Amino acid sequence: MLNNVFLKTLRDQGRSLLFWGIGLVAMAVIMAFVYPTIKNMPSVTQYLEELPASVKEMFGAGIIDYTSPVGYFSTELFSFMMPLLLLIFGIGFGVSAIAGEEEKGTLDFLLSNPVPRWLVVVEKFGVMIVSMALLAFVFWASLAICVSALGIEISLLKLAEATIGALMLALVFATFSLFLGCLKGDRGLSLGISGGLAVLTYLLNTLGSIVNWLKDYRFLSPFYHYMQPDTLKNGIDAGHMLVFLGLIVVFFVISIPVFERRDIAV
Amino acid sequence: MNANDAIVHTSKLTKFYGKRLGIEEVDLDVKRGEVFGYLGPNGAGKTTTIRTLLDFIHPTGGSATVFGLDTRRNSIEIHRHVGYLQGELKLYGNLTGKDLLRYLGNLRGGIDWNYVKKLASRLDCELSRKISTLSHGNKQKLGLVQAFMHKPEFLVLDEPTQGLDPLMQQEFYRLITEARNEGQTVFLSSHILPEVEKVCDRIGIIRQGRLITVETIEVLKSHAVRQLEIHFAGAIPKDRFIGISGVRDVVVENDMLRCNVIGSLDTLVKVAAGFEVVNILSHEPSLEEIFMTYYNEDKNNVK
Repeated sequence: MLNNVFLKTLRDQGRSLLFWGIGLVAMAVIMAFVYPTIKNMPSVTQYLEELPASVKEMFGAGIIDYTSPVGYFSTELFSFMMPLLLLIFGIGFGVSAIAGEEEKGTLDFLLSNPVPRWLVVVEKFGVMIVSMALLAFVFWASLAICVSALGIEISLLKLAEATIGALMLALVFATFSLFLGCLKGDRGLSLGISGGLAVLTYLLNTLGSIVNWLKDYRFLSPFYHYMQPDTLKNGIDAGHMLVFLGLIVVFFVISIPVFERRDIAV
Repeated sequence: MNANDAIVHTSKLTKFYGKRLGIEEVDLDVKRGEVFGYLGPNGAGKTTTIRTLLDFIHPTGGSATVFGLDTRRNSIEIHRHVGYLQGELKLYGNLTGKDLLRYLGNLRGGIDWNYVKKLASRLDCELSRKISTLSHGNKQKLGLVQAFMHKPEFLVLDEPTQGLDPLMQQEFYRLITEARNEGQTVFLSSHILPEVEKVCDRIGIIRQGRLITVETIEVLKSHAVRQLEIHFAGAIPKDRFIGISGVRDVVVENDMLRCNVIGSLDTLVKVAAGFEVVNILSHEPSLEEIFMTYYNEDKNNVK
């Protein structure tokens, strides 16, 4: 596991991946097991139906329907908790990839070997994708096993598509934090900006659904492109997915020249 | 100078961190096969020079080559043949020493592991413990092993003896001497004169970002001001000690003489031998005193 920067970085992630994985599996299992109970509690459904439209809008695509599995999992898992967890993991990794190593002082040490800077960025980005995809897969797999076992009627493919959507959303912010670390080796700064931007764009999307003058700017929020297609119901939407892909590629590609050009802090 | 002879060549190498000066117009040549000491107080620009040569930071003016290769364009090729020890060494705390060396070996390839084992045992290196649990000195030893492990053509060592106990320092000096004998070139920074004296062929002195002088050890010492205190059995006549070449600032207090000497002590000692000498105290010239010598010379030259 110490053959190159990629494997060494992945190895360092080992324990972190284990605990995040356990957390995501636990979330999937609990949510799936709770569903049959909630479904048969008329009071819950009734309560939700009576919520004001604007509040409903803030969860999912405006429809909160716990009687259907799609509505339940959309609201309870995919509208907030699941992307949030992937996002936190992703930003944490993106921030530590370059800026973290720089603040620890080991970046000089690493770069004194015949390893080009661009390759370090590529390998760390690779680990980011692999570890986040791994977490997403573990989440999907445990959810798939649970819904099958409980006989909940939901398409495993659609679950996978929604998971991929959340993964892509999280990767946008993770790559952005990697880029900030490449731009300036300040962990606090890149954590603050990426985290702050995630909160702001989240609010932009949810408030944009209620506040009229914000409506036209919702497209600027990655969360809009995540929530809008209602993936668990309709499957992946190529257009919105391309937005994610474009943002990830752009942030990744500009990371390299800014990192190549700047001074490494001691 | 022929490119084959110069391992390092810089011309007007300048680095500003924003407005703060790192180094300014440094013209430096390190010849193949020599041990070059880079001497200066903390914050003089030693680490800045080294990090510029290795392309961790980019010069704001001038240029530098290592092995005749431009440091900006060919840094990877340069790194391939350089062994580097960081000034404030930071290693991966979650790895063991063995893992760290294996990782670095894999990044470089072509490591002679028998040699690495020999190195590690010579420096009495703790390889099986996690680096985060090691003392500063033990980390420094690991740092040295990784710098030497691929038998690099050029060793760049930033304050290498920091934290080493005296025994290990001696072993380190032996390693440097062996490296020179093997034809390796060494660039070693320090803020302690006796250290560079021991192993270096030539010394560059840097102060406030400027390279003040580059001299061989002998020349440097001959320029150095040494403070001397001679205690006699009885009172001595001051006038006998005035006007000896290289001797100045003569003070006589009863049976004690204090003076500063530049260069050879020979004449002074011979004069003193005419009286009964009880004790001679010599203060080795401190770095700052040597700086002041050159600094004053600089100013005088300007005039």
